[in-house]
Order: sequence, then structure tokens, then C-alpha cells
Amino acid sequence: MKIKTVDLTKTYHLGPSEIIAVNKVNFEINKPIFIAIIGPSGSGKSTLLNLIGLNDIPTFGKIFIDDADALLLSSNKRRKIRLLRMGFIFQTFNLLPTLNALENVELPMAFAGKTQKDQRQKAVKLLEAVGLGKRLFHRPKELSMGEMQRVAIARALANNPEIIIADEPTGELDSKTAKEIISLLYEVNRKEKATVVVATHDEKMIDVADRIYMIQDGRLRLQE
Amino acid sequence: MFRRKVRTALCIIGIALATTFVVAVGAATMRYATVIKEMNLLFSGQIMVVSNDSIVIQAFPIYGSRLPQSHTENLLQNIAGVEKTVPMVFISPIAFQDLLNLMPVNFTMGIPVEHWQLILGQTPLKGNVGHFPSSETSNEVVIGPSLADEHGWTIGTNITVGGRKLEVTGILDTKVALLNRCVFMPLTIAQELYNYRSSVNLIIVKPAQGYSQKNLADIIENQIPSVKALTEEERNDTVQPILAQIEIWNIGIQTVVFLISLILVMTVTIMSVSERRRDFATLDAMGAPLSYVFRIVIQETSLIGILGGILGIALGSLGALILASLYSNIPLAQFFPTFYEIIPPLYMLQTFTAVVAVCCISGIIPAINATRMRIAEVLRAEY
Repeated sequence: MKIKTVDLTKTYHLGPSEIIAVNKVNFEINKPIFIAIIGPSGSGKSTLLNLIGLNDIPTFGKIFIDDADALLLSSNKRRKIRLLRMGFIFQTFNLLPTLNALENVELPMAFAGKTQKDQRQKAVKLLEAVGLGKRLFHRPKELSMGEMQRVAIARALANNPEIIIADEPTGELDSKTAKEIISLLYEVNRKEKATVVVATHDEKMIDVADRIYMIQDGRLRLQE
Repeated sequence: MFRRKVRTALCIIGIALATTFVVAVGAATMRYATVIKEMNLLFSGQIMVVSNDSIVIQAFPIYGSRLPQSHTENLLQNIAGVEKTVPMVFISPIAFQDLLNLMPVNFTMGIPVEHWQLILGQTPLKGNVGHFPSSETSNEVVIGPSLADEHGWTIGTNITVGGRKLEVTGILDTKVALLNRCVFMPLTIAQELYNYRSSVNLIIVKPAQGYSQKNLADIIENQIPSVKALTEEERNDTVQPILAQIEIWNIGIQTVVFLISLILVMTVTIMSVSERRRDFATLDAMGAPLSYVFRIVIQETSLIGILGGILGIALGSLGALILASLYSNIPLAQFFPTFYEIIPPLYMLQTFTAVVAVCCISGIIPAINATRMRIAEVLRAEY
């Protein structure tokens, strides 16, 4: 999946003042690599990820997905791209509390129209791959934070996405668990050939990244 | 999560209570209207003559002066168009509070033995056993089945009315509420027992062929100023406005109750959707179809309707039976065999459908809200 942004800008209005969360960002992904975006809180990391993930509309600028202007696509088509070609991992995991681990992972496949049998087989395989083969039927509240994030990773991989967008995936985890999650994401990138874009503060994440960007006051620059 | 569960449970109880109210009051008023309508079927096509100061509910005088039997009958029989006259005594224990009775309670009818057919039509006796009173002076009565069940009376039982022993010679096989609670006896016996010697309080007039009820009733009233002659239509007209009012009030109450239910479910669902903004935003970010999000909310409100409706119909049915029992002084157990007559299955189905529909509708606005969440804003607000 090729992603290209041109002068991507997002501003918010907070009362009379205007906040530029993302300021003229030009950014390109051509091949499956591991990208880390670092920056202080409020620097625009999450906003940038939301824009790249087609979860938000920029105030100005363009996003191209495989050379097609994503902003010209209908909301349904953008939804389909999110469903079939992207996977999302959130800092707070965002698992559905009423579903067990297996059902949480099956959900994106159900949306994609896969058969129940296929959903079940794939979900079991993914959960086993992230080390949760014995926790299939546990609900989120019965899982540790690390386990919840593993379920979230399995869910993000359910439809074999070409890009994984992870917003502070280790932000809530202790260092040991964070290390395990980083290894998992690295494995996904290397084995599944999926691009991984991570917004992070975690130095260990920076160590494994192929490319590191720094964002400050909405401006993105490549770290050498 | 716990608070949401408690709120949803309270909402289900709220819907159940609303449904209980609708079913209990609706079934009770329907029963009331049915009994009143049934009463008029008994003298269908005939004119009812009573003293002109009488108060009449459908086919029966509940208050008024007596009519001298022979004199009034003679006057009536001299009028052209009168084919037959049947004098009757109708004794009702109606006191003021009984006017609210949902079902006529024990009352007595004295009918000339040769005219049983007039009021009882083709009504058979239970098990085709027994017989109607054989002569005007026989101490025999036929009773309604509900009365027989309540007191454990069977054929051959001697009952005492006004110090006189009367033998039960038959039990009617009928579902008509009025006949269920009635004691039928020969006219002469009724006149003796209730001090109606040579008088009656009701005379039924059968019009001769070719005479309309209305014309004949006008002639009767012109020629006998001390009576009023009520046609079937006039009798209906006296209660029709009351029945219409009951119906309007019933519909009004149901509408208000359902509107309150709608607001209750909508409020609870809006709160629930608002609390789960992150879940809905996550689904949206994952690419879930809008129809899926919409369906989740509608399914939840429908489930509230289904559970509340089932619970409410069960409680409401019991409530309707209790109301019927309270207002008729008949033991509750007596109503169980006639459960489906008091609460018709169609009425239950209609109420259930209405409750579920109301709950579905109340989910529409929250469901639209759930589909219109701006993912980025919701997810950002969560951090």
C-alpha cells in the first residue's frame, strides 16, 4: 500500500484561538517498513495517525492511497479501506467489553464477510500467534493489560492489512510487556510484510524502527 | 458497566410497568364494554317497555316504578303492531358502587315459563342435563355457570332466596357474562319473592311483521304516557357514547403511556450510547458498516421492549383478573378458566407488538447518533 500526504494540515478551533495540530506534513510510504513517530504530548502524533488512517478529514492538503486522492472517496469507500487494508491499535486497547478475545478478533472478519468457520480458524490462529491460545474465551476485563494489547494486535491483523497504525501501543504497559508487544509488531512488519506506523514515546520502539520521524508543533521531520 | 446494567434493568421494569398498566386497564375496560354490548343482544329486534322514570342500562332497568302487569299488557296488546308481550321482573342488587362493576353480579330474572326462549335463546343446559322450571308455581331455578361454580351448586341443590327454598334444576352452558351470574326463575315465583305482586318492571314487546321498532315504540309512548318504549337502537344509543368515551380514554391513556415509555427508552439509550462512544468509534475505525452500528442499538432497544413486554403482559393479565375480581366480588380463581376471554390473545399480541415497536422507534435517534460519531474526536477525547 502506497501512502502519500501533500501539505497535510489539520487545525482545531478552541474558542477564539486556532490550534494547528498537523502543519503541512509531507510524508510518503512506498514499501512495508517500520515507522516510528515520536514527539511530546500534544505535538500532533495522534492527529496525524488519524489522518493517515482515514479516520479524520484534513483541513487542508491531500492524502493519496495508491495514487488515488482519499478525500475524493466516499465515506463508504474510506470505511472499506480501513476495514480491508488497515489495522488499528490503540493505547487503551479499545476492545469491546462484552465480547471475549476470540469474538473481538473475529469482528473485523465478520464485517469483511468471511464465513464463520474462516473467522473462527483465523482468530484462533492469530490469538495463538500472539500467545493467547489459552485465553480465547476470556473477556477483556479478565485479561491483563498486556494480554488486552495482544488481542488488539490480533484484531488489527484479522483482515491481513497492508498497514498497521498503532497509537502509543505500549503507553499503558510495563516495560517487560512493552518489549513483548514491540517484538510482536516488529514480527508483523517483517513476517507479514505489513507497514507499521507507530506513534510512541518508547525508546525500544525507536530502536527497531526503520524510519523515525519527529513531530513538534504539528511539523514532521525525519530523524537521521 | 454495572451502572449501565442497573439502568437497563430499571428501564425494562419501567416498560413492564407501563405494559402492565396498558394490559390491565385495557383488558378491564374491554371486558366492561363487551358485557354491556352482550346485554343488548338478549332482546335483539324487540322493544323494551319500562316505566318512564326508569333508569335503564342496556336491556335492563336498574331503577324505576313498577308497571301494573295486566293493565299495561292489555294496553299494549290493543296497539296495532304488537305481536307479543312478555312481562318480566329484573332484580338487580345494584348499589351505587356496583355501577362500576365490570361484570354483572348475581341478579335475578323472573320470566314466564313459556317464554324461556325469549331471553335464553338457544342456550343449552350444561351437559344437556336438567330442565327449565316446569310451571309458574314450581320452586325451580336455572342458574348461570359462574354462580354455580362459585357456590358449588349443582342440579338438585336447594338454595334459599328470601326464606323460600328453590331447587336448582339446570345450569346454563354459556360464556355470556350476564347469563353467567344470573338466577332464572318463573315470573310468578319472582313476583312473590320480591314483592312484585301483579306488577313487573319490564315488558318485552315483539313487533308484528311489517312494523318497524321505531314506529311502534313511538305509538306505544303516545298511547301509554306512563311508559317509555326503547328500541334496540335507542338502547344502544344510551351506552354508545359511554362506550365511545371509554374507548377514547383507553386509547388516550395507552398513547400517553407509550409516549412516556418511548421517552424513557430513548433517554436511557442515548445515555448508554454516549457512555459507549469509544466502542462505537472503535467499530467505526475498524470499518464496521454503519448498518451494523445502527442494528446494535435497535437490537438493544427491541430487547428492552421484548423483555418488558413479556413481563408486562404477564403482570397485566394478572392485574386484569384481579381488577375483574375486585369489581365484581367474584373470587379470583373463578376467572382463570375464562382467562382468554378477559384478556384475548389478540389483545396481548397487539400490545406486545406495540411495545416492541415503540422501543424500536425509540432506538432510532440514539442509533443515528451512534453512527454519526466523529472517530478522531471521540478517540482523542478518551485519552
